[in-house]
Amino acid sequence: MSNPQQPPVFLNLFRIRFPTGAIASIAHRISGVLLFLSLPYLAWLLNLSLQGPEGYTAAVAHLQPLWLRLASALLVWSLLHHLLAGLRFLLIDIHIGVDLPTARLTARAATLAAIVLTLLYTWWVL
Amino acid sequence: MSRHTHGLRTWLLQRISAVYLAVFLCYVLFHALRHGAHSYTEWQAWLTSPLMNIATAGFILALVAHAWVGMRDVILDYIKPVGLRLALLSLTAVLLAGSSLWALRSLLLASVTAA
Repeated sequence: MSNPQQPPVFLNLFRIRFPTGAIASIAHRISGVLLFLSLPYLAWLLNLSLQGPEGYTAAVAHLQPLWLRLASALLVWSLLHHLLAGLRFLLIDIHIGVDLPTARLTARAATLAAIVLTLLYTWWVL
Repeated sequence: MSRHTHGLRTWLLQRISAVYLAVFLCYVLFHALRHGAHSYTEWQAWLTSPLMNIATAGFILALVAHAWVGMRDVILDYIKPVGLRLALLSLTAVLLAGSSLWALRSLLLASVTAA
């Protein structure tokens, strides 16, 4: 029997069908986890870049390989999607864009904008 | 605070830190696109200027709060076995504390060398 104190939870990711809002939402979670996992690396990079002129040069040189610039696109997408979808959630929290047509539109806009901006970034760093 | 309002408090912490992170990141992006940091001197001078130094330290602290609440929510939603849950929550805490202290240390040392 369900406990009235517990909210109903249905989180089987393989059986849920994803409307636009759900895609923006799950991508918000995935991007958040990716950003979290990148923190030790980013702390390392910040530390290196502040180790005098040699450290700064080493940090810049570290970012040069092609595979790393491509990998950074994943992080840039994570940041952009997390920021844009997060902004949408904040607006919905204060009751802006709650109605279904607007919510769907902004979900699609945030998801697409993050992808387009990431492609622009990738083109720019290549 | 009572147990009743505890969820509300973390919810609010998540939103307030989100606003700060967003504003700071937008400023950093704007600055990077307009000026960039083309040498160690510029990079260090920017990060160690009093306002930017404090704002960056604030960013790291806000990030710790934000990432902790977010990761906690994700772990509690998807990981049910208590042992694994505890292990992942601990790992999250260690990773967050380690990264943030390391970043704060770098920031502080950079200010000391600049002074």
